[in-house]
Amino acid sequence: MSRAVSGPMIAADILKLRRHRTTMATSAALSVGVTALYLTVVLARHNGQLPGAQTLGDGTSLMGLYFGSFAAILIGAEAGTIDVTAGVFRDLVATGRSRTALFLARIPAAVAVALAFTLGGFLLTVAAALAFHGSTPAPGAGLIAESALWVVLATAVVTALAVGVGSLTGSRAVTLTVIIGWQTVASGMLYLATFLGAARDLVLVFAVSRFQPGPAIGTRANPGSSNALNNLKLPMPAVVAALIILLWLIVPAVAGAWRTRTRDA
Amino acid sequence: MPAGRAHPEAVAVTTSPAPLIIQTRGLTKRFGSRTAVADVDLTVPAGCAFGFLGHNGAGKTTVIRLLTGLTRPDAGTIRVGGRPLPGHHEEVLARVGAIIEEPRFHHHLTGRENLQVIAAVRGPQARRRIEPSLERVGLADRAGDRVGAYSQGMRQRLGIARCLLADPQLIILDEPMNGLDPGGILELRRLIADLVGEGRTVFVSSHLIDEIEKTCHAAAVIDRGRLIAQGPIAALLGDGGSSLEDWFLALTSRIGARS
Repeated sequence: MSRAVSGPMIAADILKLRRHRTTMATSAALSVGVTALYLTVVLARHNGQLPGAQTLGDGTSLMGLYFGSFAAILIGAEAGTIDVTAGVFRDLVATGRSRTALFLARIPAAVAVALAFTLGGFLLTVAAALAFHGSTPAPGAGLIAESALWVVLATAVVTALAVGVGSLTGSRAVTLTVIIGWQTVASGMLYLATFLGAARDLVLVFAVSRFQPGPAIGTRANPGSSNALNNLKLPMPAVVAALIILLWLIVPAVAGAWRTRTRDA
Repeated sequence: MPAGRAHPEAVAVTTSPAPLIIQTRGLTKRFGSRTAVADVDLTVPAGCAFGFLGHNGAGKTTVIRLLTGLTRPDAGTIRVGGRPLPGHHEEVLARVGAIIEEPRFHHHLTGRENLQVIAAVRGPQARRRIEPSLERVGLADRAGDRVGAYSQGMRQRLGIARCLLADPQLIILDEPMNGLDPGGILELRRLIADLVGEGRTVFVSSHLIDEIEKTCHAAAVIDRGRLIAQGPIAALLGDGGSSLEDWFLALTSRIGARS
């Protein structure tokens, strides 16, 4: 039997996730649902017109940094813990398939499912920004493509982080609390802690935000827009941001894989 | 049974020279200061139904966890199908099906989907065995229902279907009669007999001695982590005319009194 991760293993992990109704419904509400609510509120405030580029930027932040990322964390945490909590982990181990392969199959599966939601919310934003921009300029194809790629990056990184932490802890509740707390409350506090200087670059959300298309560093995403979402950007070289993102991908994955290999089945 | 390291009261009855599907030597597992399994020399001939008897907490499940690679021994060796564990972990377990303690499933998936999950891990041939396995255990009609709605007996049967995905040489069933009604027990007995008839080995761990006597050809007894008897059931009972249950109780109480 091969040690490698196979396509059917990833498909099986996708099956486990997409058949989990509560997780799917919550993820849909956090991504497409929140985006629809946001667009409705902004449309009402702007008399049926949306400022095109601002709407795109805010929708991108919603999916990459806020509610979309919560959905991605939920899905990643579920993927990292579902076999252990169901008691099926030992049956998977007893097949003889390597535990590392069992772990590695979870990451692409979770990312694929999470992307379905965050890109769904993003596409809804794009459609609304194009349809209701009124007299303001519509967002260009280049900006839309860059924003989509950034949503993919942000979703993939945070989902992989959640899979790693979920596999490490074996607890969905702990994983959700730790990662959402870190990504929102703790990172928000660190954003304001200017005395830490360049040490703040190590925070994942700042490194990911470095690549977000749109407004200048150190500003709110869209001053004067309806919700004025923070973009949490710090000035840092792209290569530093890329290395920090890589670090946040590798360390939790190694920890999760190690725990999967050593966990008592 | 080579009785060198076994309990001094151990009963050894020579088995037929059939090839061995399981062979352990000096198998030992400790949890902290507690020794759960001590110096177990277990020999299970291929192609039979083999009962593994012991009181609750005697060490049956720990031995099964060692045989299925879920935990590593602190001492001793294990050979399954002639190959050593854990060295040939993947090759050995590819042809072993096991229900350990109780069958567990993803309750939000259907019976068929649960088999798909395991088949995906086992490989393409296992995927082709899903429908025949469901047919064989009589679950084809309910395979589209969520496992959360299954009875205990249906879960046991689905667990056996999951074992069959491996086209196993060896099937390990840990307390398979638990939760089954009399009809279910009868059905399981027949299924075990059929599987043995196909040349497979069925290793049944149970504290239901009567069931082992009705189902199995040979048996081993573990008591407080030590193997105290093994061999063909008829040979273990001898000419005394006692039932396996009487023999087992007499043996374990005699050894308990000496310990």
